[in-house]
Amino acid sequence: MLLKLIKFAAVCVAFIAGVSHAAAHGERAQEPYLRTRTVQFYDVHFSKTDVKVNERFELTGKFRLMQDWPDAVTPPDIVFVSSISPGPTIARIETYLNGEPARQSFARLELGRDYEFRMVLEGRTPGSSHIHPSISIKGSGPLVGPGQWVNISGEAHSFAFPIKTMTGLQIEDLQTFGLVHAVGWHLAWLAVAAAWLSFWLARPLILPRWLVLQKGREDLLISLRDTGAGIIVSAIVLVMVFGGYVRASAEYPYNVPLQSGLNRVAPLPASPAYAEIKIISATYDVPGRSMRLATQITNKGSEPLSIGELTTANIRFLNQSLPVAMANVDPSYPTDLIARTGLKLSSDTPINPGETREVRVEATDAVWELERLVSFLTDVDSKFGGLLLLYAPNGERVIAEMGGPIVPVFTELE
Amino acid sequence: MADIDAAASPRENTRFKDKKGETVISVSGLTPSAARYSRLFDVLVVAAVVTIFAGAIHLHVMLTVGDWDMYVDWKDRQYWPLVMPVSMIMFPAALQAIFWVNFRLPIGATVGATVLLIATWIGRYANWWIWTGFPFTEGVPSQALAGALLMDMTLIVLRNSLFTSIIGGFAFGFVFWPSNYSALAPFYLPVEHQGMVASLADMIGYTFPRSNMPEYLRIIERGTLRTFGSSVSWVSAAFAGFICIFMHQLWWRLGLFASQATFLKNSDVVKSFMGIKSSVAS
Repeated sequence: MLLKLIKFAAVCVAFIAGVSHAAAHGERAQEPYLRTRTVQFYDVHFSKTDVKVNERFELTGKFRLMQDWPDAVTPPDIVFVSSISPGPTIARIETYLNGEPARQSFARLELGRDYEFRMVLEGRTPGSSHIHPSISIKGSGPLVGPGQWVNISGEAHSFAFPIKTMTGLQIEDLQTFGLVHAVGWHLAWLAVAAAWLSFWLARPLILPRWLVLQKGREDLLISLRDTGAGIIVSAIVLVMVFGGYVRASAEYPYNVPLQSGLNRVAPLPASPAYAEIKIISATYDVPGRSMRLATQITNKGSEPLSIGELTTANIRFLNQSLPVAMANVDPSYPTDLIARTGLKLSSDTPINPGETREVRVEATDAVWELERLVSFLTDVDSKFGGLLLLYAPNGERVIAEMGGPIVPVFTELE
Repeated sequence: MADIDAAASPRENTRFKDKKGETVISVSGLTPSAARYSRLFDVLVVAAVVTIFAGAIHLHVMLTVGDWDMYVDWKDRQYWPLVMPVSMIMFPAALQAIFWVNFRLPIGATVGATVLLIATWIGRYANWWIWTGFPFTEGVPSQALAGALLMDMTLIVLRNSLFTSIIGGFAFGFVFWPSNYSALAPFYLPVEHQGMVASLADMIGYTFPRSNMPEYLRIIERGTLRTFGSSVSWVSAAFAGFICIFMHQLWWRLGLFASQATFLKNSDVVKSFMGIKSSVAS
């Protein structure tokens, strides 16, 4: 028996010792069609990745709402711009969507259009936090952007969030304001309840009362004195309820209800459709961890265009032979989301204005597996989506949406 | 019961010195020794009621109206005063029936609301502060003690379940809003944020983000209950009282049903499993 207890204790200790801090938020668990065909984040930038408690930093970027929005996902009719963190390790100071305040949700964002977000955040809880931008869509849930580790240093207790009300009251810390008032009222109610319960619990209780009741002597259990006590307690309760309400109304005459309602915002100006992409065929080589696309690209602009990057589900496949594409990688962008092998192209020369060219695009990397994106093979519609970034010689960037059916290949491609 | 009656004799009890307590013990027929054990039994029952119902009521409220009680920025003036009391009255009403019908104790509703508030604060402290680090202000709960006390007072004065439903049940729903506003009024102070008005409660919810709680999930004054201008809350409170009348009576009856002791006759098969009978064949 003792041995069993020791074994059980050892298992418990091993279990507890093996428990580690949760570091991510399940972003890889989201199905691939959600990540590749809904919101494509780009130009995401963390102004700082090392901050102190109470120090502010900005998270900025843009996103494209894909035109080929999956039928299984609710359209972005109600959208909230948010950040995702492991609990409130950061404080949210301000958020904007296309320059408009984004404390509340937005109505009817447009598919096929781009939006720019800006979040001002502040370190709160010391430690390393994985922070994502996020677009929450009613009916679909949060769709997360690329996550970056932000190291927050300092002391947790030194965090404070001062704020000034419109009535002129300076609040030292939003985390504690009003708490004493609320707890005080709760303790007052508990005191009244405790008095009433003590009044009854001090008497013979369960068995004696039940036996007496069975003998028809209810008169011994409830007396006029008890009824009188009930009336007195009722009076006390009513005075507390309505007296407290009147007092609170007098003390806070300018209170406002919770604020709600949807904002509306126009998308960013549409960029000229200089490049048109048609997917001729798309395959995913399962053993080779490679997405291979046969594309037909038409340059409708006036400048030659070079393929610089394929991005989908926050993963970036870069044309490493194109300097302007490499220069477009922000140093704060998570390195684990940049494919090491980059993008391979069958034709690397610029596509001239008016030219239509067939180009084979190959995106090979273990990141497909690591990010759990290969399970799109089990989707009901087996489609993919993404953005192709092309560059003109003057550095101008053209963002083209692409997507279509994809076929899995379970044997080595020739 | 017959055994207890047979053992009954009017002897002095050492636990309850007041005349009333002595009389109750005497009439109950408990011997001094049995009376002492009954007091121990009382303690066990109280301990069981507090722990079991604290967990059960808290779980029930979290499952039915969790967000409205969990977050300060969900406590709107229209739905919060309506949905909270309608959910919170259920267990207190059932407990009130059990305690009153079986023991003539007018404390059931108060017991329910008290253990709920205590369990809620424990949950807020352990889950929201220690575990996930949310500030207390974000999770200030509401309380139903004022309504529960009034419900118990109605019962002891009127001593009738139907009238307790009509008057006490209504009071439970109606006073929820004013009794909680007193405690939470500071959280509705206005602030200006990004050029828009917000209450402090809005700001608390916004500043300390809940990743999977987008703003649109909050149910804030959806509907057309605006005829009464800024008196939305009182209309909600009155409607909550009206609904609570029926909820009280329903859960009173469910409480009675749940407290029934019924016995089923064991079949021979069950008896054989329990060793009462050697085998089914015998």
